[in-house]
Amino acid sequence: MWAYVLRKLLYNIPVYLGIILLVMVALRVNDPVAAYLGKNPSPAQIAALRTEMGLDRPFFVQYGDFVLRVVTLDFSERSWEQKRPVGDMLRASVIPSLAITVPALVLTTVSAVSIGLLVSYFRGRLTDRVLMFAAVIGMSISFLVYIILGQYFGAYWLRENWGMDLFAIQGYEPVIDAGGFHSGRWVYYCLLPVLISVIVAIGYDTRFYRAVMVEETGRDYIVTAMAKGASKPKIMFVHMLKNAMIPIITHVMITFPFLITGSILIETFFNIPGMGRTLITAINAKDFPVIQAFTAVFAAVFIASNIVTDVLYALVDPRVRLS
Amino acid sequence: MLRQAIQRAAGVVCLAVAALAAGVVAPSVAAAAARPSEAQPAGKVLQLAIRTDGPKSLDPVQGSTTYDNLACAQIFETLVTFSYADPGKLEPLLLTEMPRKEEGGKVWHFTLKPGVRFHDNPCFPGGKGREVVTDDVFYSLKRVADKRNGLKNWWLLDGVIEGLNEFYEQQNAALDAGGTFDYDAPVSGFVKINDREFKIRLTEPVYRFMYTLSQFQMSIVPREAVEHYGKDFAFNPVGTGPFILDQWKPKQSLTLNRNPDYHDVRYPAREEWSREDQRRRLHRPAGERVPFVDRVEFTMFVQDQPMWLEFDVGNLGYIEVPNDYFEQAFDKRTKQLSAAMQRKGVTAHSDQLLDFIFSGFNMEDELLGGYTPEKRALRQAIHLAIDLNEINEAWYQGINVIYDGPIPPGLDGHPEGGRAPVSFRGPNLELARQKLAEAGYPGGRGLPPIRYFTSNNLLNQQLAEMLKRQLAKIGVDLQPQLVDFSTLIEFVNNKKAPMFGFAWGSDYPDAENNLALFYGPNESPGSNHYNYKNPEYDALYERILVMEPGPERTALYEKMRDMIIRDTPYVGSMARTRFYLIAPWLQNCRPTERMWNWIKYLDVDDSKRPGKR
Repeated sequence: MWAYVLRKLLYNIPVYLGIILLVMVALRVNDPVAAYLGKNPSPAQIAALRTEMGLDRPFFVQYGDFVLRVVTLDFSERSWEQKRPVGDMLRASVIPSLAITVPALVLTTVSAVSIGLLVSYFRGRLTDRVLMFAAVIGMSISFLVYIILGQYFGAYWLRENWGMDLFAIQGYEPVIDAGGFHSGRWVYYCLLPVLISVIVAIGYDTRFYRAVMVEETGRDYIVTAMAKGASKPKIMFVHMLKNAMIPIITHVMITFPFLITGSILIETFFNIPGMGRTLITAINAKDFPVIQAFTAVFAAVFIASNIVTDVLYALVDPRVRLS
Repeated sequence: MLRQAIQRAAGVVCLAVAALAAGVVAPSVAAAAARPSEAQPAGKVLQLAIRTDGPKSLDPVQGSTTYDNLACAQIFETLVTFSYADPGKLEPLLLTEMPRKEEGGKVWHFTLKPGVRFHDNPCFPGGKGREVVTDDVFYSLKRVADKRNGLKNWWLLDGVIEGLNEFYEQQNAALDAGGTFDYDAPVSGFVKINDREFKIRLTEPVYRFMYTLSQFQMSIVPREAVEHYGKDFAFNPVGTGPFILDQWKPKQSLTLNRNPDYHDVRYPAREEWSREDQRRRLHRPAGERVPFVDRVEFTMFVQDQPMWLEFDVGNLGYIEVPNDYFEQAFDKRTKQLSAAMQRKGVTAHSDQLLDFIFSGFNMEDELLGGYTPEKRALRQAIHLAIDLNEINEAWYQGINVIYDGPIPPGLDGHPEGGRAPVSFRGPNLELARQKLAEAGYPGGRGLPPIRYFTSNNLLNQQLAEMLKRQLAKIGVDLQPQLVDFSTLIEFVNNKKAPMFGFAWGSDYPDAENNLALFYGPNESPGSNHYNYKNPEYDALYERILVMEPGPERTALYEKMRDMIIRDTPYVGSMARTRFYLIAPWLQNCRPTERMWNWIKYLDVDDSKRPGKR
């Protein structure tokens, strides 16, 4: 297994360098200097700023410099916009993103798999139809609508009409610090965004997992298990779920790298200083150091999660061999 | 073994996690039925909104936006500032009196106010802030010339102070050569008399110099702090202002604590307030020492809904009314506060911004530029075909002020009633068609499509479509090019945008600031984005620079305004009116965007809060 992991890592090095190269080329199509000029700049001042940003150097020198920084895990370069070291910005924003995305992924997956099992059990009956109808409706509504309504009713309306100050309208306080994990803070600042994220994703995921489970119900091993007198819950939760793990793992692991990217809309509306908001702000500001560092981290996580997915396949399903 | 363990775990992991999640969440929900019990600071706390992602820097010399200004103005101070009671009037802040003019305005004599101390900070011996002295002023102004600070604000001092340009060139050349930027190198225009008195000699008696000194970028900073913190000075700002930085979470929040050693600054006297302001009882704390609150908490809002909801539940002192919420706050027709707001005790205030919103032409463009009668007629035809009233009604609830020329309402040279003697304000389609024919394009025949560059937000996209429709009526084909803001600036700076949507907010309340936009030497990448060049205009501009306010200068302003309208290097103009809602618990509030150091005058009455945080 370790030989396989090592080989995959080596194969992915050129891919990784290629991703960084593409992003750096794409960023430099337009000149970012204009975004950082004051009023009335002279050509000399523009040239001075370009030098300060390091953009006067040949492209491959800039590329080589950045790759070297990535290899040595040196993210001390400062953001052009915020003047803070990029590493500090990434560190500060990854936890707020994870505080939303990880619970959202766990809750969504658990709920969607459970509902998928349930509706495949009741396939074609009223429960199945009602839940699938609800899933389609849920999928059809824009994320933005959920956020606006969720924020209004979940945070504002409950407080104004019922005196229930359960969730913050917006804002974020660190949920993990020197004092440990603050569950109260997490509930107050993060639970509403998490619930909204779950509601948004659950329709699509439920339909996906239902399809997976339904396909499993027709397999021979299910018929065999039933013939042997196994109880339905045992068939569903032990035999079927175990055999459905490959598509479940695939689906979850595809999502995994996006956990660190956060949700731009959720973070923007709820004023959560996560990665999504940091990235979109950097893109708007043409803040190359931040965009490049983010891309490097994201690409690394993506490649790592692909390798982990392959390993998990082999661990879950004996028929899969890593070679 | 491992595989078996995972296989076993796989079947139950989801249920286990579900149970765990339910276990964590349920008691937590119960425990946190109210807000988490964060330690609340003692004293009066003022919560305010910043309707963007906030300041980019807390180092004044690197700032440029209004939000940089808002943040820096609480921590740092300038030598002079605008009066809170009368925002058109300058008054001393770090000085004992307004600077005295000598040699016909070429030399200014300053006396620093005694007892003004920098915030206590570890950068000072013993951590105790020291008194502001003459050298701090010179040092702070020299920082503007240091290219390591980005030179964003060099334009404010460029060519103004005797010897400063030479200093700028020598020291930056030394940096380029691998040397150091010597802040001790002399500038002939900086004349130190003693630690509290000094003179500044100008290259010529430029009237706007006092306005320049009121800009937040000219704030006085201590050299020790800049050298101690280096590049991190922006995160460890040390000034003389009424508040000291407690915590800045970029793009999220900014919290400030009261400066216990703030120098003696008093609330404006009753007679300084207008009758209208006195009727609103804004003069009540006249003569009292400021600041009144112990802590200020700014929250950044990129989206309007959370800001609106936070204000509605009483968590914000005042807010700018977002366009989408205008009809919830005001009666659209009368612009009076809605009954629902009045019932809550909310009050309103409006502020006329010194805005110049326009669509510019590149005067060097082959099609649209030029000064021949035909070229002028083409631009005038476009101007006449555009209906600014329709734009105002459609996107701004009709609250913007439409006017001729580049001089916003409230400034000398602004045409009476907004209508100048020379005017090509549309819609006048008949005249527009006539002008188009004069330009050689009857009915728009033979006229190539016009590329219109604007930044790609939703409002601009819709506005561009409306402009396209309006111009199509006379046969002009406008092709909107929606690009991000920095690309827009790049195209305009490189003179590649034939027509572009832009806006200018006056830096100070003098039309000279707007008239400079058409001064030839300021051509792109300078602020003359139209690349307008008219030697007669340039000569007039150089004359007004050294003139004091008065009828003679105003007459020249009007003459220059009409010259611009006749040559039509842009289509315009509009100025926004900002509407604010003020919570019942916030006292002494009259928002203005001309300067931002008025937060120190605000007070809170916690007994009027719907539910204290």
